[in-house]
Amino acid sequence: MKKRTFLLSAASVSGALLVGWGAAPPRSRKGSPALMLPKDGEVALSGWIKVAPDGSVVLAMPRSEMGQGIHTALAMMVAEELELPLERVRTQQAGADSIYGNVAMFVGGLPFHPKDGEPGHRTTAVKVGEWMVAKLAREMGINATGGSSSVADAWDVIRPAAAVARGQLLGAASLKWKLPVEELTLALGVVAHPSGKSAHFGELAGHAANTPPATNAVKLAKYWTLMGTPAPRQDVPAKVFGQATFGIDTRLPGMLYATVRMAPALGGAPARFDPGPALAKPGVLRVINLPPYAGQTAGLAVVGATYWHAQQGAQALEVSWQGRAAGNFDTRMAMKTLQNAAETKAGFEFHRRGNVPADLLPARPRAAISANSATTAGDAAVAKGSIGAATGARTVHAAYTAPYLAHATLEPMNCTAQVQGDRVEIWAPTQVPQVAAQAAARVAGVPLANVKVNVTLLGGGFGRRLEVDFVCQAVRVAMECGGKPVQLLWSREEDTTHDFYRPAHAAVLAASINADNMVTTLAIRAAGDAISPRWFERGVMILASPIDTPDKTAAEGLFDMPYGFENQSMSQVATQIGIPVGFWRSVGHSHNAFFSEGFIDELALETQTDAVEFRRKYLVDAPRHLAVLNLAAAKAGWGLPMVVGMGRGIALHESFGSIVAQVVEISIEVGVPKVHRVVCAIDCGQAVNPSIIAQQMESSVVFALTAALHGSIDVEAGEVKQRNFDGYPMVKLASAPLVQTFIVASDRPPTGVGEPAVPPLAPALASAIRALTGRRLRNMPFAPQTS
Amino acid sequence: MQLNINGQGIHAKVDPAMPLLWVLRDVLNMTGTKFGCGIAACGACTVRIDGLATRTCVTPVGSVVGKRIQTIEGLGTPSAPSKLQAAWIAEQVPQCGYCQSGMLMAAAVLLDQTPKPTDAQIDAAMTNICRCGTYQRVRRAIKRASGQSLDPVLGAGASA
Repeated sequence: MKKRTFLLSAASVSGALLVGWGAAPPRSRKGSPALMLPKDGEVALSGWIKVAPDGSVVLAMPRSEMGQGIHTALAMMVAEELELPLERVRTQQAGADSIYGNVAMFVGGLPFHPKDGEPGHRTTAVKVGEWMVAKLAREMGINATGGSSSVADAWDVIRPAAAVARGQLLGAASLKWKLPVEELTLALGVVAHPSGKSAHFGELAGHAANTPPATNAVKLAKYWTLMGTPAPRQDVPAKVFGQATFGIDTRLPGMLYATVRMAPALGGAPARFDPGPALAKPGVLRVINLPPYAGQTAGLAVVGATYWHAQQGAQALEVSWQGRAAGNFDTRMAMKTLQNAAETKAGFEFHRRGNVPADLLPARPRAAISANSATTAGDAAVAKGSIGAATGARTVHAAYTAPYLAHATLEPMNCTAQVQGDRVEIWAPTQVPQVAAQAAARVAGVPLANVKVNVTLLGGGFGRRLEVDFVCQAVRVAMECGGKPVQLLWSREEDTTHDFYRPAHAAVLAASINADNMVTTLAIRAAGDAISPRWFERGVMILASPIDTPDKTAAEGLFDMPYGFENQSMSQVATQIGIPVGFWRSVGHSHNAFFSEGFIDELALETQTDAVEFRRKYLVDAPRHLAVLNLAAAKAGWGLPMVVGMGRGIALHESFGSIVAQVVEISIEVGVPKVHRVVCAIDCGQAVNPSIIAQQMESSVVFALTAALHGSIDVEAGEVKQRNFDGYPMVKLASAPLVQTFIVASDRPPTGVGEPAVPPLAPALASAIRALTGRRLRNMPFAPQTS
Repeated sequence: MQLNINGQGIHAKVDPAMPLLWVLRDVLNMTGTKFGCGIAACGACTVRIDGLATRTCVTPVGSVVGKRIQTIEGLGTPSAPSKLQAAWIAEQVPQCGYCQSGMLMAAAVLLDQTPKPTDAQIDAAMTNICRCGTYQRVRRAIKRASGQSLDPVLGAGASA
């Protein structure tokens, strides 16, 4: 199906809705002050801002803090507009209301080429699509933290809310003192007049709540004193003194503990079990059957006096397990299926430009190859670093693969739940509080209004905590605990073997080069399971549909490239392997950038062009990409000679609205690549906090390096073979590179920083390995292939 | 049994086989020490016992009776931070923060044993896993706390 047909049919289906919606004004996200639950003299000015009697300010915090620093970044927006020191702004968890929903994340899921969204280039299809999705997202108000969208989403909601609050406070003072607003000053939480009148926010708030704002314009960037500075993060001190409360740290009077043993085969279940040996263990209280909730595998929960007691019981359980009824998964078979699909199926074309011959990409099934071999169709067509390689008009082919990956958040899956009659309360490290509440209500069979969600800090998210399987399990266990709260905590083994994995993908790529050594055509087809339809089915049922529509998150990173090749075709084949998959930091970009930028590096070599120069040639009408590329190259000293034994590579990739280029410098130690330095340039629009941005670049590089070197989840006879960090290695301090961050100055609204530095790392590293060793790696992970 | 934790005598009625990690977290409600893997692979559960960095998820509580145990709660407080914790804040080390208690305890032991560690000594001692990749700031904070000079940070500022 062509993209145009899909969009038009989607538009016509929604046409009737459009007529009704079009007439209604855009839903305001200002919100009712009651949402902030003011108490003890606090005064709420909207659903976002309340003022304490001492004049300090509280921001309703709708997003989850999992290390990305948004609790501070969003508080900075408020502090700036209200001219307050950052310490005078604190946050409280936002309630459940659609004003707290994430709009930017859903608009970001649209399958448009970023160029089509640029000012001056925006087509009607893009405008209509973005309007429709934004409206839908505002109406539904799904509160989710993900997609590197928190700052972007807050930009036109929290800043105006704070600006309106400022206007109300100024207006209140003006009315009270009968003095013109223009003569009033605002600094350090105090409104004052040269005549000597002054009042702090706490004294004005009561009046302000009933005063229309005297002003409501957000501050221009040139007047910022806090935004744009490396302000210290508000959550750092607690985390340094061991006082930060993660989900696992929830402690309640009378709380019990529970752990799980799920069927080792994904999709399996307990066949027969004897709880006797478990219950005989000291401190073990109960054994509970767990159905397959929210896409998770069925199993058994054991309740005990502590986690350790529950775990002793769990290990003592006598269980015989059955495999998945439809047959157990196997990743070697899956990879063959993916490669066959990439080669032989047409898929959905996400991007087309010019003319691409239908037979450019391979369409014949190929002989079976092993999942980890580094082979390509047409290896002979790509010379390995030799000058005087093939010339004249020619085509180049390659095949790439990427494996399943686990999230491996350091805090294992957990949720604390208490069910008392028809009331449910949960304490969860969740990225989706309302989805969690709805899931809890369903499991307990209570009205949604009877469910209270407490969002804790998250010991890592990376997309894993967009799922609600562990929430459902905790509620089910709590239903059997006589009204006592119970903390359900998974072992690391259960966490690694029962994840929602980054899906494996296989891709075939081809390019045509003309007699002038110019790349005229680029075609890519990748195959892998869709994520979004499965995620909707697991928790956001209102968006689930009987047939899967093309999933942009599977193709992102392939169809949205900035290069001006005359003819382009990028397609994605949605396979149905069925291994549970979910959103993994940078999602489709995590594998597609490896495929696309890896191939770009091959084309540069094939045309005997320097990797930076090659990209410059084809970055036509892409000034932002060019600026990022040039900044990284300049800061890394690209082109200057390297110390003998060192090599470097580069990659450029756009994701989540931001553009990142990385230069990776390596040596080879005992056969394994050692990364010494990564120079990272980013255009993320206006920088809210450059220190937090640098942290996210550093974080993403280490995360991506772990995956590129080591990451692989293998399933045999339905069971995930990797169980703990001894089998799923992580990059540690000794092998962590120095990451240097350079931010392009910009006046555009902020775009993502949590994920965009993940995708370019693998292809930049592959480029460096090729430069140093002559060996092209087209499959991840690299370490098993090099050592 | 009698345990000596952060200079205080604490009486706990627990199975001697129970790992110290769970005694701390689930019996004493001292949740600063974290659980990450249960096989001493990640270091999130690190405390100091008689001066040595110890991974408590594999340390039976019976084996530490009579020993001096220091947890993150005993390393320093907001009003009296250790030099390491002050350096951690200055370098803005934590992101999610989950590994940081163990990381700090391991660093505290390192500095006790090697007051001015070299990069190689830091590499060898700091084997804790940080999934958020704070490693380069951990290194800087250790050097800062030990009074060693730091290379200027190129690119966006790393310290506040």
